[in-house]
Amino acid sequence: MDKDVFSSFHPLVNFVWFTTVLLFSMFFMHPVFLTISLTCSFVYSVVLNGKKAVRFNLLYLLPLLFFVALINPAFNHAGETILFYLKNGNPVTLESIIYGIAAAAMFIAVILWFSCYNAVMTSDKFIYLFGRVIPALSLILSMVLRFVPRYKAQIKIIANTQKCIGRDVASGNFFRRAHNGIRILSIMTTWALENAIETADSMKSRGYGLPGRTSFSIFRFDKRDKTALLFMVILIAIVLYGAAIGQNNIRFFPSIKMPVMNGSSILIYCAYFFLSLIPIIIDAAEEIKWKHIRSRI
Amino acid sequence: METYQIEDLTFTYPLAAKPALDHINFYVSNGEFVTICGKSGCGKSTLLRHLKSILTPHGERKGEIFFNGADIVDIDQRTQTEKIGFVLQNPDNQIVTDKVWHELAFGLESLGYDNQTIRLRVAEMASFFGIQNWFMKNVTELSGGEKQLLNLASIMAMQPSVLILDEPTSQLDPIAAADFLYTVKKINRELGTTVILSEHRLEEVLPISDRVIVMEDGKLIVNETPQKAGEILKDMKHDMFLAMPSPMRIYAGLKNGLACPITVSDGRKWLNTLIGDKTVGKKPHAPTPQAPLRQIASKFSPEPPAICFKEVWYRYEKEQPDIIKGLSMEVAAGKLYCVVGGNGTGKTTTLLLVSGILTPYRGKVLLKGKDVAKMNGKEKFSHNLGVLPQNPQSLFVKKTVELDLHEMLDGSRLTKEEKAKEIERIVALCELDGLLEMHPYDLSGGEQQRAALAKVLLLNPQILLLDEPTKGLDGYFKIKLAGILKKLTDNGVTIMMVSHDIEFCASYADICAMFFDGNIVTENDPQTFFSGNTFYTTAANRMARQFFPDAVTTEEVIRQCSINS
Repeated sequence: MDKDVFSSFHPLVNFVWFTTVLLFSMFFMHPVFLTISLTCSFVYSVVLNGKKAVRFNLLYLLPLLFFVALINPAFNHAGETILFYLKNGNPVTLESIIYGIAAAAMFIAVILWFSCYNAVMTSDKFIYLFGRVIPALSLILSMVLRFVPRYKAQIKIIANTQKCIGRDVASGNFFRRAHNGIRILSIMTTWALENAIETADSMKSRGYGLPGRTSFSIFRFDKRDKTALLFMVILIAIVLYGAAIGQNNIRFFPSIKMPVMNGSSILIYCAYFFLSLIPIIIDAAEEIKWKHIRSRI
Repeated sequence: METYQIEDLTFTYPLAAKPALDHINFYVSNGEFVTICGKSGCGKSTLLRHLKSILTPHGERKGEIFFNGADIVDIDQRTQTEKIGFVLQNPDNQIVTDKVWHELAFGLESLGYDNQTIRLRVAEMASFFGIQNWFMKNVTELSGGEKQLLNLASIMAMQPSVLILDEPTSQLDPIAAADFLYTVKKINRELGTTVILSEHRLEEVLPISDRVIVMEDGKLIVNETPQKAGEILKDMKHDMFLAMPSPMRIYAGLKNGLACPITVSDGRKWLNTLIGDKTVGKKPHAPTPQAPLRQIASKFSPEPPAICFKEVWYRYEKEQPDIIKGLSMEVAAGKLYCVVGGNGTGKTTTLLLVSGILTPYRGKVLLKGKDVAKMNGKEKFSHNLGVLPQNPQSLFVKKTVELDLHEMLDGSRLTKEEKAKEIERIVALCELDGLLEMHPYDLSGGEQQRAALAKVLLLNPQILLLDEPTKGLDGYFKIKLAGILKKLTDNGVTIMMVSHDIEFCASYADICAMFFDGNIVTENDPQTFFSGNTFYTTAANRMARQFFPDAVTTEEVIRQCSINS
């Protein structure tokens, strides 16, 4: 994770990029677009999560891809090129098979993008972005993230304590267990309320509630963030232009109809490709730079 | 100039019969380090909370408090937030946010500083405290000591002129506590911040304090330099001495007209002048080697040992390193067995293995010859094994202590009279009379501990496991606890206890064992155990070992001194 340079960009850059990439992969069903989003998301997930991602992608996502691709023609019978009939008399069409494959590719790409999103958009980045809109929310989110793990740990301590006086939630009949479980929750509630008093004291003593609270963040919007954002905006504009002239989608039913390819469509494909590839390009550039620096030392 | 001037302060809690603070008068000068001590419930916390009005409890207040010459009631909240820093007892409860950097910035955010200023202040503080390495961490990743340092740093980021700490080290182990106090002293010395600190573990605090205030029942009884305070308390024959550092206790136990020693090195010099020349020639009697109790107990007694580890190995996750490494040990029945040793060496894990909460991946844990892993909950915990948790609060369910005790006997087959009798017996044993009507959470730390112990004892355990039972207790409650433990072992109960409290173990244990790197390095009776150690021993022993190497408790040092002088 540390080696991913894109993560170190300003959260706004991360967020804008992920939002556009996710939306574009969901809405553009053109085969070229699908191929680009599937490849780029696969590569980036491997860059971020390493070997683990390769295993997950091949072990779970590949079968899922086939499954979704096959399940569509079984239920979707639209389309004019009938290949054969099922036993129940329903036709299987070429269009529905192709649509199935396209939908599966889209589905997998979105899952892959989300796995990247999870690795890059950590909670503090999310809090920071939304905290700017509603400052109180950012503190609440931060406190939730503080207290959920804490309560979880405390519940475990209480459960162990109860176990040590022979009140195990995992043994005895149903009522016994339920009773023991409720007892744990009851102890937990008392504990949480009692200890929250000191937390409140600590907040008050550090001036919480004074008017004019600000929200501190460790993120800075640098020149490189500006540059990255600018590039992204240009590429997004080109892709959206493509959407406007109908270059990014194809028609599946009743018959497959692709938009006519021309010079501008090549430009749009390239724009989408580079947009999806931004983090990988940034990472690669950084890697080359380091190699270069090291060779000089 | 005086930072604080307290004039005739009297404070009564609502519905309370007598005042919690009774005509208190004192002042604190700029840049002073003042320690406030006294038994639990003497009004230390109440007094400290009066020094910052937002934390002041409800009640009837008379008298005046001046902060930098102005009445504290007239000082607005913003100034108080900024100028008066307050650190509370529990490290965990004070942390509000999930990231270290956010926690450091919390106070400054409240005060409405802009990003640039906060960045600078936070950076400054992180560097001063040497915590820049955990700046980006989640607060859950920190240890207790680190958490308390974080709390201190996040207060200091606001650059207060006075720092008030309410028993800040009571939840920390000795090493973390010493670290913390060192940092407080550094703040006092290098930044000139006035420090007012309440504490019951005084060994570390007194040497760095400029002045000591001793309180009793809401009254201020001593207000002097540590040395003078020691001499006055000695003349008063006051029982606050139980909490004082060992050198002072030894000093108080012997008739002499010398100045009161505070640190171990002072104590050594003092002993030198007191008996130095007299004992030349008749050097200390050789340490009387005691029979190794354990071997006798295990080899010749027909009964199997109460707890027995047979080459036990344990780790939390497959990928993680071993915590317990081939541990073999035996605890003889009816003994108080104390395990001492540093943090993270696996002491608490060992207790969890005994209770069967954790299961070793290799080796066996036997309770009276039976494998713990094969016992069911009922067999294990009724009339057999009792576990007192480190935090007694995780045991309380009901509104009053009495109901809580009754709740423990729910589901047992005793008749009502038998139950009442049993509870009466335990209440007497744990000295809970007069506390039965209170809510468990309203008890002080030591009382909560005894109430929790009473609950566990109602199960009539033959083996009792204690995890840090003296944590946060003052000297007075420790003696009470020791008395209860003694009564239990006399009745044949085996107690295995994990502790950082060397002084307690030296005074009351039957056998002490040193835990290090997942195993027991050595075990012996406390006298032999501690007199054999140079660093890891009681303050009394470190002070007097040149004369009496086998004396490990203050009482023993006093006894030997009075024989020899």
